[in-house]
Amino acid sequence: MSLSIALTKGRLEKKTVAMLERMGYGTENLKDKGRALVFEDTKKDIRYFLVKSNDVITYVNHGVADIGVVGKDTLMERGNQNYELLDLEFGKCKFCVASLPDQDVFQKVGHVKIGTKYPQVAREYFLSRGIDVEVIKIDGSVELAPILGLADGIVDIVETGTTLKENGLVILEEVCEISARVIVNKASFKLKRNEIMAVVRDLESVVKEDAHKNGFEG
Amino acid sequence: MQIHTPLGMRDLIKDEVQKKEALKERVENVFCAYGYQEVIAPTIEFLDTYQKAFSNLQVEQMYKFFDAQSQILALRMDMTVPIARICASKYKDALPPYRFRYCSNVFKVRESFAGRRSEVTDCGVELIGLDEQSDLEVIACALDTMAAFEMDHYTLEIGNSSFFKVACQCAKIPEDKREELAQKIDQKSLVDLKALLDSMDLDPEICLFFEKLPLLNGEAEVFEEAWRISFDPKLQKIVRELQKLYDNLQTLGYMDHISFDFGKVPHLDYYTGILFEGFVQGVGVSVLSGGRYDSLLKKFGRDLPACGFSVKLDYLLESLKAPSKKVLRLYYPPNKQLEAYQKAQILRQDHEVSLIPSESKEIRIEEVSL
Repeated sequence: MSLSIALTKGRLEKKTVAMLERMGYGTENLKDKGRALVFEDTKKDIRYFLVKSNDVITYVNHGVADIGVVGKDTLMERGNQNYELLDLEFGKCKFCVASLPDQDVFQKVGHVKIGTKYPQVAREYFLSRGIDVEVIKIDGSVELAPILGLADGIVDIVETGTTLKENGLVILEEVCEISARVIVNKASFKLKRNEIMAVVRDLESVVKEDAHKNGFEG
Repeated sequence: MQIHTPLGMRDLIKDEVQKKEALKERVENVFCAYGYQEVIAPTIEFLDTYQKAFSNLQVEQMYKFFDAQSQILALRMDMTVPIARICASKYKDALPPYRFRYCSNVFKVRESFAGRRSEVTDCGVELIGLDEQSDLEVIACALDTMAAFEMDHYTLEIGNSSFFKVACQCAKIPEDKREELAQKIDQKSLVDLKALLDSMDLDPEICLFFEKLPLLNGEAEVFEEAWRISFDPKLQKIVRELQKLYDNLQTLGYMDHISFDFGKVPHLDYYTGILFEGFVQGVGVSVLSGGRYDSLLKKFGRDLPACGFSVKLDYLLESLKAPSKKVLRLYYPPNKQLEAYQKAQILRQDHEVSLIPSESKEIRIEEVSL
């Protein structure tokens, strides 16, 4: 049976496509994409489409896509009702709490405001730490919030930490690590188990190969 | 003036209604053939009734309001709890077993704009007062029900929540970790599961068991693997029982459309034994679900074992074809109204007839298919 796979466009796109190519899948259409939105695999009975990370989850939730590749950050923020079968181990970064050096939100007595693109993640983290905070949703350049005094601190994804440093912010705590994950619609898993597991196994073997290589180099 | 429906609600019109009615009839025919009696319960229950039934009730998912005495009311979110309540009150002096069936709308507040419905028709059965022996009957009924959907590609997936629970007891997993462990396994969240197991410092054999559980699924071949990783005779017994269930189903002629998943462990405090879900091609969520819930009725003061399942009719509609039917249209001029009515009365014995006033000189009958 034919499979549909939703891929996150942007940050994770290139590496996902490279991975599929190494697995021997027919990714020509994906690489030379023009304005198309849906791409047929030239070797396998698979259809890909590239959408925003939030939409990957939506398409998989509804079973329109059987499989999705999406960042753990989006999964944590949205909540996941699908199976999460594999860590692709790229797109690695961390959720961190950061603030200006003299404004440790964990020490502050009184009302604490946290600016973030990920209100759910921020809320749950401070809840788990037993700290009562007000979460303010911001859509971009979260680093600006503590500088301008909108928030005492921020929760954001940090890859290298350069942006934080350039804006004079320091990391107070690491919340958790995130990376690209493979999610699978539950109903699809029941009805197309073999086809789906074949793709997951292929992805897994590439992940393992890389881990092995890095193990030797590192 | 509001002229649209609230979020998550929808109107059914035209062929959607026909599809739903036809499906409902086919499903109810199966339930009737198994001797289930219909129950109609009120749409509104006390919130308290649901809180009694579920220790971890997600109150935010219920539509709530107050009665004149300021007691909190809720739109029912399922039919199993009202039926448990009925068993404890109306049936307290009747000898079990009881076989109930229902077809009622149930309500759950869904996430905004996620394309989910907040009101769906739940059509199901509850077999109350019989122990595991009747699992076979309930599953056979579920399979007959799925066959009645008249779709080619479907599967009923069976698990047993005791497999996980017994494993936790045998492995002495701390109580406070069990819920989290169950959730990772049920979600097949393999990465998080691995991290959790690593943090728990378990015996390698036990660690391997829980690690394998999420992918311990498939058809007959899965029993061998399940048996192999069962680290306690009590677990082996559960594998044997499930295999026996499978053999019995085969003997009864249910060869196809069955699969097993040992890593199926939702709602730990609700399901007490077998549990199952039905999936059909083209629908992203389960359309049938059920299982054994031997501890629910106790909470209402009647300690009776029970097993049941229900079908969410609305989820299936998009994948079904509308039944075709022919109706008659009878056009008549103003001066022949009575004659037309008389003609229609005769025709209605065998047909659906709609009367339409027209400009034509004579009565004219037209057959149309819908």
